[in-house]
Amino acid sequence: MTSPRTVKRLRRILGMLPYVIAHPGADIAEVMERFDYTREAELVDDLNLIFMCGLPGYGPGDLIDADVEEGAVWVDMADYFATPSQFSPREALVLLASGMALMSSGQAPEALHTAVQKLSSALFPDAETSLVVNLDTEPEPVATLRKAISDRQPVELVYSKVSTGETTTRVVEPWSVFSTLGNWYVVGHCRNADDKRVFRVDRIRDMKILSGDYEMPVQDLEPVVEYTPNEDDVRATIRLGSSARWVADYYPVVKKDEDIIEFYASSPATVARLLLRLGRDATLLDGPEVATELENHQRRLLARYRPQKS
Amino acid sequence: MNKVIERIINLLAFLLTVGRPVSAEEIRFTVAGYDQPTDEAFRRMFERDKDLLRGLGIPMKLAPTDHWEVEFGYVVDPDEYQLVDPGLTDEERAALWLAAQVVRVGGEPTGPEAMFKLGGAPSSTTGEPLAANLGADLDTVAALFDAVARHARIEFGYRDKTRKVEPYGLAHRHGHWYVVGRQRDIDEIRVYRVDRLTKLSVGEEDEAFERPKGFRVDEAMVERPWEAGDESYQVTVRFDADVAWLARRELPPGAVTETADDGSTTASFPVANPAAFIGWIIGFVDKAEILEPQELRDRLVSHISGVASP
Repeated sequence: MTSPRTVKRLRRILGMLPYVIAHPGADIAEVMERFDYTREAELVDDLNLIFMCGLPGYGPGDLIDADVEEGAVWVDMADYFATPSQFSPREALVLLASGMALMSSGQAPEALHTAVQKLSSALFPDAETSLVVNLDTEPEPVATLRKAISDRQPVELVYSKVSTGETTTRVVEPWSVFSTLGNWYVVGHCRNADDKRVFRVDRIRDMKILSGDYEMPVQDLEPVVEYTPNEDDVRATIRLGSSARWVADYYPVVKKDEDIIEFYASSPATVARLLLRLGRDATLLDGPEVATELENHQRRLLARYRPQKS
Repeated sequence: MNKVIERIINLLAFLLTVGRPVSAEEIRFTVAGYDQPTDEAFRRMFERDKDLLRGLGIPMKLAPTDHWEVEFGYVVDPDEYQLVDPGLTDEERAALWLAAQVVRVGGEPTGPEAMFKLGGAPSSTTGEPLAANLGADLDTVAALFDAVARHARIEFGYRDKTRKVEPYGLAHRHGHWYVVGRQRDIDEIRVYRVDRLTKLSVGEEDEAFERPKGFRVDEAMVERPWEAGDESYQVTVRFDADVAWLARRELPPGAVTETADDGSTTASFPVANPAAFIGWIIGFVDKAEILEPQELRDRLVSHISGVASP
């Protein structure tokens, strides 16, 4: 294996070369900015390295010319590198999918639509009919939340907790709304809890914008939705049948064995519901709280379906 | 690190200009940096560099070096190598870069390298909050995207069976990636959830099938998981008042609903995948009840009864 640092540097060189060849005497600051060089010495090192390369023979007429002169970058004798190389599937996918996702959210500038269109037709003609990225249609509260965020106004949420179904009213200073794994979330400071909280937008039953304003934190906007276990969590050991293996990839779990996982959740009800859905495909091996909740859920469900007695 | 990069740039320069397939032997004694003392040392070095070049998306292929196909050599066709310039304006480039930053594909933030082949990234717009996270195993999705673009056949395990599929398209919906294609043994178009694929292999052959004219992946996709299947049921479900608001958001637009005085809602709608439908209904625990058909009531009860706890 070649080291990731080497690959990274090579990618940058192969990206920078075509630009510099197409723009003889390009301004060094511009080249640094476009190709993410933080120090001039890094760019000079790369140019010195290129200067050692070329075609077999490796004489003065075969080697690439590369130089920095009074803040201008020159590369010559390397016409074969004048055009960047084709995108790898991964590179193409990341760009197209990001562009399409933002477009589907209705938040994209016109320039993104034309950029994605140009990029897809340059890459392969079927792109527009064979790749579709749709964020879910924004649920209604998203637009209201966005407005509250831009006006820095707190909101009052009537919120049903996903795990327990319990409904509470909370006042939240919203920081950002985003979509992940098919759900929309709002992250912000919850005044009731006096702490940072993440809420699922589809569980907001009702909301209104309150008057007053709040301070947006300078940092820490990065939402953490990936579940991180903490000491209050319930823990359950589960054996997954072959058609339930996806659970191990989908949820944040600790793999104990090929088919045995340790599942963490903030409430036993969350795990119980998952186990009910999986049916015979999963077995709870350990987790007394979950077992109690599972039996309870099972009993409630069966009671509802028991044949009505006249 | 310099040595590795020099060698690879020399190799690429040679392959891009030589205009014919060249054997590994010729590369060893012609390109600077490959002249290793032993066959084994050369072979290891060359294999590693080849993998690296292919990983960067460089189309390095094998072709016979003579008419009699006695010997094979490596070739990089400049036409295939060169990116067709999509001709993005600065504004379009900036819009695409912004999209790549606020949308995450596969959990990892997209670095500026994504833009190198398009002339570099415009000055970075830091502090943009995350707008969406297209969670996925990027390697798998990229491999599928490559197969879709090349019209290459794929084979994978799905629900314990091996499927041979001609992939027509890739879609991201409701937080999941799906691949859509013709399952060859039954000659029907099917939708598969990417995170449930196992042992994916992508065929070597390009243009192994023809995509039907006018095929659109978005039209082949279904909105709700219980609509993807080949069975046909008309179901009636009662949702209790405290979950009816939530259920109504997820029902298909054509569902016939009736709300009783107590706030509970009865809804009738078609179901093509009973297992997915039952999974969804179980999520409501005892706050929802399948009224009809009896067959699906029985299936739900038998599913629930099969849940094993310690």
